[in-house]
Amino acid sequence: MEKRVLILGGGDGGTILANRLARRLGPDELSIEVIDKEGTHWYQPGFLFSAVGEAEREEISLCRVALYKENVKFTQAEVTKIDLDDRKVSLKDGSERSYDYLVIATGSTLYYDDIPGFKGGADHFWSFGASMRLRKKLMSIKSGRVLVGVGGLTYKCPVAPLEMVFLADELFRRRGVRDSIELVYLSPMGRAYGPHLLNKLVEEEMAKRGIELVTYFTVDEIDGKNRKVMSAEGDSLDYDILILSPPHRGSEVIINSGIGDDEGWVPVDKHFLTVKGYDDAFAIGDATALPIPKTGVVAHFQAATLANNIAADIRGGIKETFDGQSFCLIEMGESRASAQVSNYRYNIPPGLIPNWLFHAMKMAFTKMYWKYILTGLM
Amino acid sequence: MTDVTPTISIDARGISCPGPLTNLIKAYRKAKNGDVIEVLATDPGFKSDVKAWVERTGNELISLTEEGGVIRALIKVTAR
Ligand SMILES: Cc1cc2nc3c(=O)[nH]c(=O)nc-3n(C[C@H](O)[C@H](O)[C@H](O)COP(=O)(O)OP(=O)(O)OC[C@H]3O[C@@H](n4cnc5c(N)ncnc54)[C@H](O)[C@@H]3O)c2cc1C
Repeated sequence: MEKRVLILGGGDGGTILANRLARRLGPDELSIEVIDKEGTHWYQPGFLFSAVGEAEREEISLCRVALYKENVKFTQAEVTKIDLDDRKVSLKDGSERSYDYLVIATGSTLYYDDIPGFKGGADHFWSFGASMRLRKKLMSIKSGRVLVGVGGLTYKCPVAPLEMVFLADELFRRRGVRDSIELVYLSPMGRAYGPHLLNKLVEEEMAKRGIELVTYFTVDEIDGKNRKVMSAEGDSLDYDILILSPPHRGSEVIINSGIGDDEGWVPVDKHFLTVKGYDDAFAIGDATALPIPKTGVVAHFQAATLANNIAADIRGGIKETFDGQSFCLIEMGESRASAQVSNYRYNIPPGLIPNWLFHAMKMAFTKMYWKYILTGLM
Repeated sequence: MTDVTPTISIDARGISCPGPLTNLIKAYRKAKNGDVIEVLATDPGFKSDVKAWVERTGNELISLTEEGGVIRALIKVTAR
C-alpha cells in the first residue's frame, strides 16, 4: 500500500522536499500533497533587490501550481490545526487530512506587535509589498537621516540588514544624494555583526563608505508620528527613513496547535528533524526552533536530508543526518559580495574578502533557483 | 558562588555567536528592574561579549563563572 506524506507550507523547504520525493519515488509508493495558503511563490532574497529598484515582480515570483512535478498534489488552503497524536490536520474549509508522514514547513510570520509602533513607524523588505513601499522612499529622499538595522531579534536571513545598508549607500551615490544623507547602522550588540572575522570586514567597509555605526541599540519602541526610535538601553534617534528587520514568530497554526515554543518555533531533533516526541512528524526550514540561521539554504539542505530519509524508510536504505550546514552570500554593493559557511561544529565563519565572483554567484543563483533548486534537481 | 536566584533563565549552550547574546538581549527587552537573568553558554566569545554588554548598558554583572566548559552569567537588571 502506498504511504502518504503531507507537507504543510509550499515555500522553499516544502517545495524542494516535494519535488525531491517525487523524483525518487513513484506514485504507487508515496502520495505527496503540499498545502499552502498562498498561491504565489516568492524568491525572497529578491525583496532586497526590489527595494533598491534592481528586481521586478516577474523575476522573483511564480504561480505555485507551476512549480510541482506531476505526482505532487498542490492544495491552496490554510491549515488551522495540527493534531500529532491523532495524525490529523484540519483546513480552514473544515476538511481534514490524515498522513503517514507529516512535514511542517510553515516558515515564519511577521509579528509586528513585538515592537510597539513598528507598523506605521518603520519600513522593511521582508515582503514584496513592503519592499516596494520602501523603494518609493529610497528613490525620492533627497536629504536627511536613514537608519538601517536590526529591529526584531529573530528574523530570516541574518545578514539582510547589512546588505541593505550597503545597497542603500550605493543607490544614494548613484542618485547623487549621498552627500546630503546621513546613513546609520543600528546594532543591538557591541559590533555590527556577530561573527568576529566577518564583522571586521563589514566594519571596515562601513568606515570606508561613511556609514555610521551605532552599537548597543536594541530597538524597543517606535514613535512614527515624531519619527523617533527608542532603544532598550535608553537612547533615542530621529530619522527620516527607518529600515528594520521586523519581529518574526512561527506560523499561527503552530502556536494554536500547541506544538511550538512560546514564539511558535517547533522543537526538533537537530540531526533527524523529527518533532520532539514523534517519529512520523518532521519540521524543516524557518519553522524549527534550531539555533541556526533562518535561511533558504538551511531549508534546502534539510529538505534534501529528509527526502533521502523518507525514501530510505519506504524502500530501505541508509539514513542521513543534517549537520547544520549553512551557506550565505553577503551582498556588499559595488558588485562585490562576501560569503559565510558553517555547520554545527564549525561555526566560526572566516572573513572572506568581498569580491565580484561571489557577487556573480549571488546573481546567478536567482536563475538557478527556479530551474534547479526548487525543482529538486540540485 | 552566589545565592541569588535567577528570575529568568536562558539556556544558550551549544549556540554559537551571536546567539547567546541575542537571547540575553531578547530577555532584557521583556525584563524589569530587579530581575536576575541567568545565561548558560558554551560559546567562548560569550564571556567578553557579556562583559562589554553589561558595562555598556549599565546593568549589573553579579557573577561570571565557568565550569566544565559551561559559562554562567548572572545579570541583575538595573537599567530598564
Ligand atoms: C529579504 C530576504 C532576503 C533573504 N535572503 C536570503 C539569502 O540570501 N539566502 C538564503 O538562504 N535565504 C535568504 N532568505 C531567507 C529565505 O527566504 C527563507 O529562510 C526561506 O524561504 C525559508 O523557507 P521555508 O520553507 O522554511 O519558509 P517559507 O519559504 O517562508 O515558506 C513557508 C510557507 O508556509 C506557508 N504557510 C504558513 N502557515 C501556513 C498555514 N497555516 N497554512 C498553509 N500554509 C501556511 C506560507 O504561506 C509560506 O508559503 C531571505 C529572506 C528575506 C525575506
